[in-house]
Amino acid sequence: MVLDMAHAIAGGTADHKKFEVLKQDFKSGPEVTRACLSCHTEAARQVMKTQHWTLESLNPNTGQTVGKKTLINNFCIGIAGNQADCTSCHVGYGFKDRNFDFTAEENVDCLACHDTTGAYRKPAGLAGHAVYEEMEFPPGSGKIVRAVDLNKVAQNVGKTSRYTCGACHFYGGHGNASKHGDLDSSLEVADSSIDVHMDVLGLDFTCSTCHLTAGHKVHGSRYQMTVERQGPFLRGMPLDRNPVSCESCHGNSPHSAQTMKNIEPLKGFTAVSMAAIVNRHNEKLACQTCHIPAMARGGNATKTLWDWSTAGRMDADGKPYVEKDDKGHSTYESKKGSFIHEENVIPEYVWFNGKVEYTHLGDIVEKDDDYVPINRFIGSPDDGKSRIWPVKVMRGVQPYDPVNKTLVIPNTSNDPGDKDSFSNNFNWEKAIASGMADAGADFSGKVDFIKTRMIWPITHMVAAREDTLACKECHSSNGDLSAGRMKSVTGLKKRLRFKYQP
Amino acid sequence: MKIYKTMLINLVSLLILIPGMAGAYDGNWKRGDVYYRMVCTDCHKNQPVGKVPPDSRTQAEWAAYLEADQHANGQDTVSKYVSKSFRASIADENKAAAKFANVPEEELFADIKAILLRGASDGDAPAGCR
Repeated sequence: MVLDMAHAIAGGTADHKKFEVLKQDFKSGPEVTRACLSCHTEAARQVMKTQHWTLESLNPNTGQTVGKKTLINNFCIGIAGNQADCTSCHVGYGFKDRNFDFTAEENVDCLACHDTTGAYRKPAGLAGHAVYEEMEFPPGSGKIVRAVDLNKVAQNVGKTSRYTCGACHFYGGHGNASKHGDLDSSLEVADSSIDVHMDVLGLDFTCSTCHLTAGHKVHGSRYQMTVERQGPFLRGMPLDRNPVSCESCHGNSPHSAQTMKNIEPLKGFTAVSMAAIVNRHNEKLACQTCHIPAMARGGNATKTLWDWSTAGRMDADGKPYVEKDDKGHSTYESKKGSFIHEENVIPEYVWFNGKVEYTHLGDIVEKDDDYVPINRFIGSPDDGKSRIWPVKVMRGVQPYDPVNKTLVIPNTSNDPGDKDSFSNNFNWEKAIASGMADAGADFSGKVDFIKTRMIWPITHMVAAREDTLACKECHSSNGDLSAGRMKSVTGLKKRLRFKYQP
Repeated sequence: MKIYKTMLINLVSLLILIPGMAGAYDGNWKRGDVYYRMVCTDCHKNQPVGKVPPDSRTQAEWAAYLEADQHANGQDTVSKYVSKSFRASIADENKAAAKFANVPEEELFADIKAILLRGASDGDAPAGCR
């Protein structure tokens, strides 16, 4: 009781246990939402304007429509036909197909972001609902999932946390660490070796410390990347720019003699001149390039390849099967195909000016023997805007319509009753026809597979100062940049002035 | 004299109230998560037994294990490893132990219990390796 009071005082000005409207025997999420809205009258309308609700938006910088509703990737491919699974990460209830009512305020899920008990979960397959009555899940597994105590959860709402954000953002793309490479459950309890900002024994940032939120709009989406240096974001500044950048806190010239004092200077340099040199690197390098030496550093492997073309094999008994490596990662699933998982992955590096040409359903994609880029990062050494960024390159082999020359979305629903799903019929033609019909897109009926590569920005898991990249990681002893980490980056000149001489 | 009497009444009242307050504490699972990963797992990963994921047991099994308070097949106790003296003994090399140096032992024990029950195979959020 004493501690509960302390939490209420530390976390906010309201103890939700005292609200009569929350002392109900809630039977469903929407019932809780209606209770929330009786006080927070504008909250649902605010949420409804955000990408967390709409799953699509217009990027004002590129004019492109972006968001999960319409884009394709080379992980789970797309949500069409698979809404009931994918929308477990929608901040709403009931998004089971394309007819979802985006105007119903009671469908907004307050608890997904504001639960503090850790008891609120939304399993895939329930169209964004939690478990309201004890059920076997996944269906046919024999595992029983208990109903969530909505009354307890509702009375313990609070600020978002790395657990609430991470429930979706750490687990995208079919599992923990799978998609992003720099976001996984190790950030729930990070130490400084994983992320110096989220170190629970140090700065202890939550996600929202950087991803500033106003009116439920969360800034810092990868769909609207900011790469130009805008300087510090000071208190009082209007939120008409992206405040979620390294420079927002650290400024454009963060290195000083003080910050360089523990770093052994190169031959002939002092801490002051070293700081000047490193600051000058900011003109061509994103901060992340040096300060995120590797991704998937928290002991969780990230997917680096997903090959759908191998899906559909059966075991000796004619049944679908799963193979795992010695760390428990799937290497093959009959329903999904083959995978490669890796830890401590050194990023690849690309010139990036902030623009991404996203691939939409219906876009013509020419097949090639090599991996074809989708959702391409744009940049060059000569456009005056680009800097070199660390990225995760995800390689995939995904279904393709060779007649229309388009990527396709198959129905891969895990609902055992969905006979159109590849997970049940192992028939690509039927599964793709189902997914494309749900998306309202053309499908020729012919199926091929195409090798694709997609880039993901690496910007979390910022290492402690002592783990920052050393000069020699990129600069060889004769000043040549072509042998180190930058070896695949075009447009770099041999800079003998800065040759590495320890 | 009247002052001493008032003080005595207040003291007695406090002593009566404290156990009730302690009993109401049902564990801070987030703090338990930090201690479990950074102290328990940090040691376990280097021992023959390896990491012990919360979802390796059911809630009932974890509750029974903690109730019995027997660690390493009864060679010592679980409560030993949440004790202030243990935390002090590893504080120099373990920052989490140092950070929680002054947390009451009963609270930290309850925190550990909260994260294990949450992460148990039949818990609210079954959790693998921590």
